[in-house]
Amino acid sequence: MSAAAPEVRRRRNRLLVLLGIFGPGLIAANAGNDAGGILTYASAGSQFAYRTLFVMVLVTVGLVVVQEMAARLGAHTGEGLVSLIREQFPLRVAAFAVAALVVANLGLVVSEFAGIGAAMEIFGISRYLSVPLAAVGIWAAVVFGSYRYVERVFLLLSLVFVAYPVAAVLGHPDWATVARQTAWPHFTAEHGFVLLVVALIGTTITPYMQLYQAASVADRGAGPADLRTIRIDAVAGAIFADLVSMCIIIATAAALGGHGPLASAQDAARALRPAAGSAASGLFAVGLLGASALAAAVVPLSTAYALAEAVGVERSVSRRFSEAPLFLGLFTVQVAVGGLVALVPGNLVALLVDMQVLNGAVAPIFLGFILVLANRRSVLGEAANGPRFRIVAAVCVAAVAGMALLVLLQTVGAWTGLAS
Amino acid sequence: MTIRFLPTAARGLVSVAGLAGRPVRNPAGAEIGRVVDVVARWDGAPYPPVTGVLARVGRRRAFVPAEALSGLDAEGVDLSSARLSLTDFERRDGELLLLADVVDHQMVDVDGVRVIRASDLYLARVGAGWRLVGVDVGLQTLARRLGPARWRGRPTPGRVIDWSAIQPFGGPGPIRLRRTNQELHRLRPAELADLLEDLGRRERDALLGALGPETAADALEEMDAAELGVLLRETPAADAAPLVAEMEPDEAAEALRSLNEEDRSGILAAMPAGDAERLRELLAHPEGTAGGLMTTVLVTAGADETVAGVRERLRGEVEHREEIDAVLVVDDDGRLVDDVSVFELLLAAPDTRLGDLVAPPWPVVVDAGAPVEDVVEGLIDNRRSSVVVVDGLRRPIGRILADDVVDALVPGRGRRHFPRLLS
Repeated sequence: MSAAAPEVRRRRNRLLVLLGIFGPGLIAANAGNDAGGILTYASAGSQFAYRTLFVMVLVTVGLVVVQEMAARLGAHTGEGLVSLIREQFPLRVAAFAVAALVVANLGLVVSEFAGIGAAMEIFGISRYLSVPLAAVGIWAAVVFGSYRYVERVFLLLSLVFVAYPVAAVLGHPDWATVARQTAWPHFTAEHGFVLLVVALIGTTITPYMQLYQAASVADRGAGPADLRTIRIDAVAGAIFADLVSMCIIIATAAALGGHGPLASAQDAARALRPAAGSAASGLFAVGLLGASALAAAVVPLSTAYALAEAVGVERSVSRRFSEAPLFLGLFTVQVAVGGLVALVPGNLVALLVDMQVLNGAVAPIFLGFILVLANRRSVLGEAANGPRFRIVAAVCVAAVAGMALLVLLQTVGAWTGLAS
Repeated sequence: MTIRFLPTAARGLVSVAGLAGRPVRNPAGAEIGRVVDVVARWDGAPYPPVTGVLARVGRRRAFVPAEALSGLDAEGVDLSSARLSLTDFERRDGELLLLADVVDHQMVDVDGVRVIRASDLYLARVGAGWRLVGVDVGLQTLARRLGPARWRGRPTPGRVIDWSAIQPFGGPGPIRLRRTNQELHRLRPAELADLLEDLGRRERDALLGALGPETAADALEEMDAAELGVLLRETPAADAAPLVAEMEPDEAAEALRSLNEEDRSGILAAMPAGDAERLRELLAHPEGTAGGLMTTVLVTAGADETVAGVRERLRGEVEHREEIDAVLVVDDDGRLVDDVSVFELLLAAPDTRLGDLVAPPWPVVVDAGAPVEDVVEGLIDNRRSSVVVVDGLRRPIGRILADDVVDALVPGRGRRHFPRLLS
């Protein structure tokens, strides 16, 4: 005991140093490359080959702008985004923002359990066995407090996906097409394409990431004086995360571009073959399992925490989560719903992508709140958005909202079209 | 204290949240505007008086002083005169905008020693005017405010805290508390530390400023190491330096150690030179060694000094009372001879020479480079409350108290922050 304590502390310090380099921005933005992210990017590569690359450039601009605002809000106020919303907006408006957040996060939880099911199906294990077991296991690990250790294992597993950039290079994609599709603005209003664009937006710009960005900047005690560093970190993190995402699209497009929508996770795994050979599907499954399980616990916890923040009891939750019945209940319900929805018969990959569409449809609401907060001089003082930044940020939010609206109109149109 | 009002008493309470958007009526009963906010004057007294109502009249915002009000209830506000002079609102000293600054914001419940967020505030008629009497912290109150308009003004005093136990913050920009709830100064440092950990950054800075450096430093010593590190990082060096200077040197050194080089030297540079020098010496010892744990607050005495003389000197060290459990007896070359406990000094006759008190058991000594494990072993073997740190020539340079070792051994009771990867 006496010998272990300083050792633990030294190890923790080393981790802190590491986190100083890989700052909160990097982790926050890369949280987008979870199960939903990977399969959505893979779907994009499979269905439209390189055609979504230009969209990813635009999404990256949006992500950079949004993450920077979230970081600035965290650094300047030292508060979480949800408690800022509670203080700055009328209660009903704040409740609307929180409701949007809960819907988005619940969608994420569903997609994480779908990811677990899809990963285990590669190993030939039925999801009717794997998903319930995973839900119970994750629930128990969080409630009985051993999750911190399990988390490290999952994180390690999800590092498998560093194989994507390698696979993107070794897969001999048509680089000329890649370059043209990245730089040349193009868009089609084809329903499948619009749907996938919204899914890409939803999985890349998730409310969870903005909450994380602001909270971790505030927790670190970063103040206005550190703004420069925080900005660089947030922007670099967003760009890096999207480069990885684009690698996933490129690798998948090179392997199976133009074969239509992704039928299964097994197909998606084929993109890793240039890097991993025959081990590709096993490796892909392991990575997908790690990434999904990691987020399957973190996302419902963050929802519960956000609600605690909205109600104003976040500090009591932060001390003893398992003793706060309301939040334990919220966590339990989310895990249960996530697990159950993932059991509904149908294509898991399609379910997963649908959940990203849901996230993309809800995203503009939360982004709007962040934009309004970052515009307010009463919140950020001198660091509030300047006139030019205001326009850029408003255009980003409007574009995201426009896409969500388009998908909504198309969907409604398709229904009424069917009815008539 | 939590007051549970009887249902009849609740009828006399006016919900501040429910007043938002309610009509402002002239004596004839016609609506001339809508309530925007309620203004109360907080001067540290138990129940702040309402000084007026901020109303929207047409496209203007006007301040209606309390004297011009004849009625104020859940249905709205009545003016006593048909004439209303539209004066622009300017926040006067100590005035709180109850809806903008207080409802939905953090405050301290001094009786319950906790940080709360107000779901609603209640006003009551007291004598000729209205006063702020309570804070509602109930969850069902939030639900009521989300519901239909006719629910909003209905008081639901389930969990109400008497306003006399409240320390509010408020006002835009950096908050400066002109008055503090006097009860706040009666809290123990550990209780203040809990509050500081729970408050948001703005509120916390305001509270630290209001407590004064000495009380604040005592509270900081009780804070969780990680939380304290965050606090020092986000506080400007000029504000942090006086606090760190007031802390016990070993606690201050530990806190500074958690900062990066730039923040650390910033704080040291802003500190009185003597304090900074002492801390730099402590910081030179690596963490996890005896030198990194020790305090340099020592009382040393020669063998010829009398008990009465030493007691007199101890009187001057009263601010360090928690760090001093014994007096070191040294020889002419400054080498350690014995460690005489304060208890022994208390029992000894005033004219006794310290040399006469020198006797076994001999003090436990370690050198500055000794690992924490050796310190622990020394404490366990000898069942003493502290060990003495000596240099190569056996001259005392510091002391390690058992409670500091406990802090070093117990892993940080870190709180759960926003759930994340790599927590």
